[in-house]
Amino acid sequence: MPCRRVRFPSAAAPARLPASPAPSRCRAWPLPKDDSLPDAPTPTTAEFIRLLEPLLAAAHRTALHLTHNPSDADDLVQEASYHAFRAFHTYRPGTRFAAWFFTILTHAFYGEYRKRRRRPDTRDIDDVPPLYLYERASETGLLGSDADPAAAILERLDVAHIVRALGELPEEFRVVASLFFVEDLSYEDIARMLECPVGTVRSRLHRARRLLQKSLWDVAVEAGIVPSAPIPTADPGAPAGHQE
Amino acid sequence: MPPLDRLTCQDTFARLDDYLDRALTVAEMAAVQAHLDDCLACAREYRFEQGVLDDMRAKLAHLEVAPGLLERVRAAVDRAAQDLGAG
Repeated sequence: MPCRRVRFPSAAAPARLPASPAPSRCRAWPLPKDDSLPDAPTPTTAEFIRLLEPLLAAAHRTALHLTHNPSDADDLVQEASYHAFRAFHTYRPGTRFAAWFFTILTHAFYGEYRKRRRRPDTRDIDDVPPLYLYERASETGLLGSDADPAAAILERLDVAHIVRALGELPEEFRVVASLFFVEDLSYEDIARMLECPVGTVRSRLHRARRLLQKSLWDVAVEAGIVPSAPIPTADPGAPAGHQE
Repeated sequence: MPPLDRLTCQDTFARLDDYLDRALTVAEMAAVQAHLDDCLACAREYRFEQGVLDDMRAKLAHLEVAPGLLERVRAAVDRAAQDLGAG
């Protein structure tokens, strides 16, 4: 049995979305009208806000990564809140409200904000080799004997740098990177949100990890935080220390 | 498929993404961990990869919500309630 990241009981999915006419692409759809569901007690706005308020920072953060614009991010959270309350009767109490709300937030993003994008995201992405940040840091002498080499690099970057690095990722990778690496949602939650196979989420995340590392490094070089050129070594053929 | 009781650096490296995502089987997680316990080079690479994500997540946790967002959300929810009542 494959080991999967397990966090909390999955939230009840919002009402089933209409079938995609182009199932070959991983995409999300707006929520259907709610007429098909059985009668439920009228939800209260206070109850909804009580559940949403603790998530607001995470929702804003995710919206910012999705839209890459602070004003649009606020609009997206507001719009998602509107749709979420209208669909509140589909939320099963006791299940994970965060996963349920983030599904609606992601759907709202795909439903509206992508249409407003002035130009399509057609950036060519070269394959980034694995351990990109580690290798660059090693070449430029940043690793040394530091007890925490990752911190040695990340401490040089502020929040704005990291937001920018995430924003540089093409959308399909930025979305999964934000939901998984930042908000710690599971493969299954993300697959449900995006109506993708879990395998698609997995492969995008693996690539997103490498793209994000390159993006972090490029932002750091551009900001003058790290050197852009490798430091010459005395013995370029020195072994890396790996076992055979 | 190499035996899980003795992974090489290459075998471990091939599983590193899934190990970071905790998406391996229990046996594979244990096999990778056993190699990391033995191989300083691989362990350093793994700690670096994990550290980048942990540190990034910790910094992003300090992103501030714009003032007034909660009020805007309340207004949107009230509007939704009115629309539900009217519809």
